[in-house]
Amino acid sequence: MTQFLQQLINGLSIGSVYALMAVGYSLVYSIMNFSNFAHGGVIMLGAYFGYYYLTGAGLPFPVAFIGAALTTCLLAVIIERGAYKPLRERKAPFLYFIISAMGTSIFLENMVIATIGPTFRTYPEVLSRTPIQIGSVSIGRLDLAMFIISAVCLALLVFFIDHTKMGKAIQATAYNIKASALMGINTDLVIIIVFALGGFFAGIAGVLFGMKYTVYPQIGIITNKSFIAAVFGGLGSLPGAVIGSILLGVIETITAGYFSSQYRDLIAFVLLVVVLIFRPRGLMGKVTEDKA
Amino acid sequence: MLKKSLALLLICLMILTLALSGCSKPATEQQGGGETTAEEDVIKVGWMGSLTGDQAVWGQCELNTVKMLFEEINAKGGVLGGKKLEVIGYDTKGDPQEAVNVAKRLTGQDKVVAIIGPNASGSAIPIAPVLEEAKVPDIATVATNPKVTVQDGKVKPFNFRVCFIDPYQGAVAAGYGYDVLGFRKAAILYDVADDYSQGLTEFFEQYFVAKGGTIVAKEAFKFGDVDFRPQLSKIKEANPDVLFLPIFFKEAALIANQARELGITVPLMGGDGLPSEQLFTMAKDAVQGTYIVNHVDYDDPDVQDLKNRYRNKYGKELELNGYLAHDAVVLLIDAIERAGVADPVKITEALETADVQGVTGRIKIGKDTHNPEGKEAAIVKIEGDKYVFQQKYSAQLD
Amino acid sequence: MDLNYISGILTLAGINLMAVLGLSLLTGFTGMFSFGHAGFMAIGGYTSAMMTVKFGLPFIPALLIGGLAASLVSSVIGRLTLKLKGDYFCIATLGFGEAIRLIFDNVQYFGGARGWPGIPHYTNIFNVIILNIIAIVILANLVRSKHGRNMIAVREEELASQIVGINVFKHKLISLMISAAYAGVAGGLMAHYMTFLAPKMFSLVKSTELTIIVIFGGLGSISGSVLGALVLTSLPEILRAFADWRLVIYGLSVVIIMITRPSGLMGGYEFTPSSMKKLITRIKNRNKDLPNQMEGGKTV
Repeated sequence: MTQFLQQLINGLSIGSVYALMAVGYSLVYSIMNFSNFAHGGVIMLGAYFGYYYLTGAGLPFPVAFIGAALTTCLLAVIIERGAYKPLRERKAPFLYFIISAMGTSIFLENMVIATIGPTFRTYPEVLSRTPIQIGSVSIGRLDLAMFIISAVCLALLVFFIDHTKMGKAIQATAYNIKASALMGINTDLVIIIVFALGGFFAGIAGVLFGMKYTVYPQIGIITNKSFIAAVFGGLGSLPGAVIGSILLGVIETITAGYFSSQYRDLIAFVLLVVVLIFRPRGLMGKVTEDKA
Repeated sequence: MLKKSLALLLICLMILTLALSGCSKPATEQQGGGETTAEEDVIKVGWMGSLTGDQAVWGQCELNTVKMLFEEINAKGGVLGGKKLEVIGYDTKGDPQEAVNVAKRLTGQDKVVAIIGPNASGSAIPIAPVLEEAKVPDIATVATNPKVTVQDGKVKPFNFRVCFIDPYQGAVAAGYGYDVLGFRKAAILYDVADDYSQGLTEFFEQYFVAKGGTIVAKEAFKFGDVDFRPQLSKIKEANPDVLFLPIFFKEAALIANQARELGITVPLMGGDGLPSEQLFTMAKDAVQGTYIVNHVDYDDPDVQDLKNRYRNKYGKELELNGYLAHDAVVLLIDAIERAGVADPVKITEALETADVQGVTGRIKIGKDTHNPEGKEAAIVKIEGDKYVFQQKYSAQLD
Repeated sequence: MDLNYISGILTLAGINLMAVLGLSLLTGFTGMFSFGHAGFMAIGGYTSAMMTVKFGLPFIPALLIGGLAASLVSSVIGRLTLKLKGDYFCIATLGFGEAIRLIFDNVQYFGGARGWPGIPHYTNIFNVIILNIIAIVILANLVRSKHGRNMIAVREEELASQIVGINVFKHKLISLMISAAYAGVAGGLMAHYMTFLAPKMFSLVKSTELTIIVIFGGLGSISGSVLGALVLTSLPEILRAFADWRLVIYGLSVVIIMITRPSGLMGGYEFTPSSMKKLITRIKNRNKDLPNQMEGGKTV
C-alpha cells in the first residue's frame, strides 16, 4: 500500500511536469491547428535563461523566474513572426508548419550546443532537497511547489481565457479563424498573444524542469513525451492537456512500478493508440471540420 | 514570379557556397607554432568521437587532450626525426552511421595514418570494414564492448584499444562488491537503449550470481528519461545492499538525487561511465560513498603532471577520457617510431607488438585480442569532491 | 575528393532515397505524414539481416523479404490508425516507431541495444543505384496508374473523393504498405552497408530526417525526392568541417526553404523530357511575361 501511494505521488509529480509543457502545445494547436515542435526548444531555452539570470546575473529567484518566462514569451513571438507568419500568409498546409517548427527546434538545440556548449548546468538549491515524510511516503518539496505553481498558472490561464475580452477573442478564433476575422477580431494579434502565452508557460516549465532535474540541450526528448500527453488528452483542449499529462504520468509510473520498466514506453504507446482508436480526437480534443 | 526566382536563386547560391566551402581544406588544427611545414613533413592523425550529444563533455576532452599532446610533441621536435603531428577531428554525434562516414572521410579524403577514438562501442564496431578496406589502424579510447576488436573468435586486424573490456569490468565490479565489500543483494538500474549499459549489466549479473549473490531488482529506463522514481520506489521495496548503476554520469547523478529523496541509503556502485567532474556539480551530496570501477587512479603521482598540464591549458579539469586518449597517443607514437615510417600498415604491425607504459597502466597489446592484456582496474570511492583511490583490483575471467 | 569517400556518401544517399521514395508516396502523393518510417526501416533491416546471416539467403531475396515484413507490419498498424486525422496519425506513427525501437532494444536474439555486428557487406554503390532506378520506375508507373490518381485525389480532397466513390481507407492502406515496403528494403540495404545494426540507428531523428527530405524535395514530385535525398544527405557531410555549427545551419536552411519556397525544390514538378522543353521555352520567353507554368496548378 505504501508503495502504491508512493508510486501515485511519483506519477502525479511527473504528470504535472508534462502538464506545464503540454499546455503550450495545446494553446497553439487550438488556434493554428498544428503541433508546434519548436515549443520544446523554447522550454529548453527557458531553463537556460532562468539558470543564467539566477547564477550569472545574481537575481533573486522570483525575479529570475518571471524574467525567464518573459524572455521566452518574446522568443516564442519572434519564432512565430520568423518561421510561421510567412507560411500563414501563403495559407500553406499544416505539414509545412510542422517542418518549419522542426527546423526551428533543430536550430535552437544546436545553437545552444555551439554557443553555450553541451555541458549540463545545475540550478543552485532554491528549495531544500530533503523531502516531507508522511508515514513512509515521501513528497519532495520541489514537487509540491511545482504542483502548486502549475495549478495556479493553469487557473490564471483559464480565468484569462474565460473572463477577459482577449480570452473570448482567443476562443472565437480557435472556433473559427475566418469568421472571427470577419467579425472584426484582430486574428493576427490573437495569434501573437497565444504564442506569447505559450512562450510564458514554456519559460515556467523550463525553469521548474531545470530546478528539478538539470539543464542540458537535449531536453526536447522529454518535451516529446509531453506532446504525446497533449495528444492523449486531445489537442487544442486545455483541460485535455492537463488530464492527459496527469494520466500519462500515472500510467507510466504504475507500468514501471508493477509491470515492466523495460517495456514501459511500449505499454504507454499501446495505450495511447487504443485510446485514439476509440476516441480519434483524444480524450477531449477539439473537433475540427473536415476540409471546411 | 520575381520573388520565386529570387528564392530559387537563393537556395542554389546557398548550396553552392556550402559545396565550395566543403571542398576547400577542412578546418584542421595545424600544430607546431606558426611556421609552415611542407606537406610530407606532416603526419596526419584522425580523431573521431562525440562532440555533440550527451557524451560531448568526454569527446571534447579527448580531442583537447590529443591536440595538447601533439602540440607538446611538435614543440619538442616532432616524431621520426622532425616530422610534425597534426590531428583532424570530426564529430560522430555518437551515431553509428555518422561514424562510418567519418571513418571514410578520414581514411579516404584526409589520408590519415591512424585514427584515435571513438569512445562509444556502437561507433567503434561498424567502422571495422572501412578500416580494413583502407588498411588504417584505429585505437579506440573507452569502447569496452568485446566485439570492438574480436568478432566470432577472430581478431579484427585494424582495431585496437587501450581500455579494458566489459566482461572484465563486470567481473571486477561483482568481485570487489561481493568479496571485498561484502554485498550479497544487489539491485541494478540500467539504460535499456544503451549498448554499454546492457553489456555491463549482463556481465555484472553473471559474475555476481556466479559468486553466490542475488540480484533482487533489475530495473530499466530509456535514454532521455529524467525521472527514475517509479523504478527507485520498486528498488527500495526490494531492500538491496548496493545499487549498481552501469550507466553514464548524467543519469547517475539524477538517480542518486532521487534515490536519496526516496530514502534509499545504500551505497551506489558503477563502472567507467560514472567518473566526471559533472557528477559533483549535479549531485555532490547524493553520490558520497559511491564505489567506481575506473581505468585510472586519479591520485597516482604519475598522472598529476598530465592533470596540471591540461588544467593550465584549458582551465578545466581533465575528464576520464582524456587519460585514455593520452594513452592512445602514447601507444600510437611508440608504434610510429618503431615502424620508422608514417605508413598505416607498418604502424598496424608495430601496434600488434606494442608494450608501453601509460597513465592508466601498462599497455601490452595482445596479438589475438588487440586489447591491453592484464590491465588492472582502479577502484575509487567518492569522498567529498574527490575520487579516493581504494586499491588496484583484477579479476579472473573464465 | 576521394572516390571511396564520395561513393560512400552516394551509397548512403541512395539508401536514404529508397526510404524517401516510399515516404514520398505516402506524404507527397497520399497526403499522410509519418514519424515512424525509421521503424519500418528497422523491421526491414533486421529481417533481411536475419535472412542472410541466420538462414544464408542471397542478398536480393533477403532484401525483398525484409520489405515484405515491413509491409505486413504496416498493414496491421494501418488498419488500426489510418482512420486518424493529421496530427493524431502523426503521433500514432511516432509511437509506433519508438515502440519498434524499444522492442529491438530488448530482443537479445538480435543483440539488443548492444547491436548486431558481423552482417555481410553486400551493399555497394552499384546495386544501390540499380535498385533505386527500379524503385523509381515502379513508383512513377504507380502514381500514373488509376491507383496513383486516386491517391492524389485523396490527398487533395479527402471528403470529395469519398463522395465520388473512391475507397479512401483502402487507398491509404495500399499507399502505407508500399511505402513501408520501400522503407524495409532501405533498412536491408542499410544493414548490409553498415554491417552492423543497432536500434539507435532508427531513432525518431531518422524518421524526421526522411520527412524533411520529402518536403524539401517537394511534395508530389519523385524527382524532387531524388534531388532532396542527394542534397540533404551530402549537406551534413559538406558541412562537416564546420563542426558544431553544421546542424545550426541545417536547421536554419530547413526553415528558410519552408518560408521562401514552401512547395519544396520541385513542388509537384518532374524532370521529364517534356517538362524540360517547357522549362526551356519558359526561360526563352521570360521577357514576354508568360504565365508561370512551373508553379501553376500543382501547389499542394
